[in-house]
Amino acid sequence: MHSDAKPQGSPLRQPWIEFRNIAKRFGSIQALTDVSFCGYAGCVHAVTGENGAGKSTLMKILAGVHSPDIGEVLVGGREVAFAGPAAARAHGIATVFQELTLLPNLTIAENLFLGREPRKAGFVDRRAMRRAAKAVLDHVDVDLDVDVMCGDLVIAEQHLVEIAKGAAAESSVIIYDEPTAALDGPGVDKLVRLISEQKRAGKLVFYISHRLDEIFRLCDTTTVLKDGRHVTTCATADLTRNTLVSLMVGRELGDLYPARRAPEAGPNVALSVADFVPALGRPPVSFALNRKEIVGLAGLEGQGQREIVRALAGLISPEAGSAKRGMENDAAETIGSSVVGAVRAGVGFIPEDRKSEGLYQSLSIEQNIGLGMLRQAAMTARAKIDRNRVKTLMHDMNVRARDESQLVSSLSGGNQQKVMIGRWLASGVDILLVEEPTRGVDVGSKAEIYRLLRAFADEGGAVLMTSSELTEHLGLCDRILVVRDGAIVAELDGADANEEDVMRYALMGRTAEGAPA
Amino acid sequence: MTAHRVRRFGRSGLGFVSIGLPIVMFVLLSLTAPEFFSLENIGNVNNQITALLIVALGQLMVALIGGIDISVGSVVSLTSVLIVSLDPSLAAPAALLLGATIGVANGLGVAFFGVHPLIMTLASMTFVQGLALLLLSGAGGTVPAPLILMAKSSVGEVPVAFFWCVAVIVGATILLNHSRLGLRIFAIGGNAQSAELSGIRVLTPRLACYTLCSLAGVVAGIYLTGRIASGDPTLGQPFGLDSVTAIALGGVQLSGGVGSVLGAVLGTITLGLIANGMNLLGVSPFFHAALTGVLLLGAISLQRRKVIGI
Repeated sequence: MHSDAKPQGSPLRQPWIEFRNIAKRFGSIQALTDVSFCGYAGCVHAVTGENGAGKSTLMKILAGVHSPDIGEVLVGGREVAFAGPAAARAHGIATVFQELTLLPNLTIAENLFLGREPRKAGFVDRRAMRRAAKAVLDHVDVDLDVDVMCGDLVIAEQHLVEIAKGAAAESSVIIYDEPTAALDGPGVDKLVRLISEQKRAGKLVFYISHRLDEIFRLCDTTTVLKDGRHVTTCATADLTRNTLVSLMVGRELGDLYPARRAPEAGPNVALSVADFVPALGRPPVSFALNRKEIVGLAGLEGQGQREIVRALAGLISPEAGSAKRGMENDAAETIGSSVVGAVRAGVGFIPEDRKSEGLYQSLSIEQNIGLGMLRQAAMTARAKIDRNRVKTLMHDMNVRARDESQLVSSLSGGNQQKVMIGRWLASGVDILLVEEPTRGVDVGSKAEIYRLLRAFADEGGAVLMTSSELTEHLGLCDRILVVRDGAIVAELDGADANEEDVMRYALMGRTAEGAPA
Repeated sequence: MTAHRVRRFGRSGLGFVSIGLPIVMFVLLSLTAPEFFSLENIGNVNNQITALLIVALGQLMVALIGGIDISVGSVVSLTSVLIVSLDPSLAAPAALLLGATIGVANGLGVAFFGVHPLIMTLASMTFVQGLALLLLSGAGGTVPAPLILMAKSSVGEVPVAFFWCVAVIVGATILLNHSRLGLRIFAIGGNAQSAELSGIRVLTPRLACYTLCSLAGVVAGIYLTGRIASGDPTLGQPFGLDSVTAIALGGVQLSGGVGSVLGAVLGTITLGLIANGMNLLGVSPFFHAALTGVLLLGAISLQRRKVIGI
């Protein structure tokens, strides 16, 4: 299984798309490093890997959304440099983006032909456009009126139209980015039929997915990326589920993580969640969060971890169930239903997007942390911030800043995250809900943030976190709850679990039990 | 998945309020003001709203991409000054060229340098108004006779203003509903990022919208100067904001992507009817302004605020 392995059935042909030594960096994050592989016409080519492996970034480079820092892309043997998505389209590269790109105020027909409207005497030929749009929808087997505004469609219909849009484009390459995320069974069947047809027509189909079923069902060739690096490109027939999973994972943990303490006996439940339905259409979840414990909600992206945390934090109102401080049967306080209610009950929330949801970018470190201390003060009370307390916290957390009056917007990601944590430490909450504790944070600060969270737990606090980095769960958490399709499919001991176990549950759900390791 | 949902008003932004308001106003005035329902008075209303209509259609273009142009009023003023200060054969081309320059500058400021449209056009409004007053400090000057004729005469019983209106309405309709630019304007207003991912360039249509709006100001300035037969460096002052009022009454969403030529026309007619009616009923102009404010807020509150998910 080497990168130069050619797909079956096309050993003699020239590659249609070639990536050469692609590297791309976003701020402090190296998204792609030295990625090289080829794609062949008439081939369905899976690009897969864990969350954050770089598969979407690579495909967005091919789609002209990003340009590579280093390396080149070759189409039909010629080097290309796309100035934007329009240029990529002109080179015959159509993309079905994961985030919908349909314009809500345009009809289906207008959306399908935006940018290359049929014309008559210089004007848009609406009749021809509608006719052509109908033909495209018939071809994809989607039964919708082409005059309907796309904003009026339900999400699943929008995804079908998005797929039709990719099919409508004149192209030699089609990129599908997680196309089945919002499709139902018949929708997936339609997509499968369409892709086989596109393959027969000699197109190169890139299929980004981490759903093993679909990869094995659809794809001739599979490329695995890990941490932004190319692992392998080989014929899918040469792979088994287990080999594919182990290619996607497997890494050294190092001593980034603080030591765990032995679990203490006795009733020390901090938060009990029972039959909790965070959002409509999700199954109920039940679990307990203990004092002195860090629990991780692991799983693939978009499986409902975020909804569980956000519903507990009071940002979205749960459909059913309860979340209470302490034991479930105690006459304990119910939390949730509003952010203010959650905070009042001693639950702090650290959102993944600290820039827009967490910090006050235009205020100083002192004010950002101080707002935590003031949480129980009356609205009319004098807003006096205990500066010494802020200084002590900054020192303890090792916030690297000029002084406490520096604006948080000028801090690095890691230091901003520490300020975010500091606010809750100052406010005296004892339960922390943390989304992506180290997103956009450099490695040095990561270790310090892990230490802070561990110290918070050791002092009697409880932490519930989500992370798209599996290693973070394995290194930091005492217990890992694996979430798939909104349900908790496995509970693993953090110290004993390994990446393959977690991935197997995340990918295959409960059926993974008893699977050969 | 058999979806057959036809939205009554699509992306036009029209609704029962924006369509009903001018009709109700027309009926009320016909009943209460005896002089209202006459050919002469209707012609008057037409004369009074023509300049605002031209500017409102320009403002519509900018609003559809989610912008706002308050500088268009001073473009009207500057045009008026240029008409009376320059050689008649040069005046109109010079005004159009200057208008286009101001529009491109606004567009570049907003779309390329990322200045907020309100700030960008506030700056150009102030600059252009200063320039107009620098060239002509007070009303006066001579307007070429052909221009006066073009703005004030009538063809049979029909005042020439009517033809100005028809021309700009037809032009704007063709542009928005039948050209590729029109479709791109709606697309960018709907969601600029998605539009870009769909493979269309987003800078040029934005520049075009601001340029069209400024050019609309020039055309309105030429018409209005001919009608009052005099140059006036503050002629266009009310237009910057009145045009926004007009399109807002007509259901155009200032967040972009939703609006129509018909909406802009109906909003302008509504404003014209209020002015005319207050005048006929002998109401103080100050009360007229206060009423317009109340009406605007009331009408907007009754409109569908959340149109097709934008």
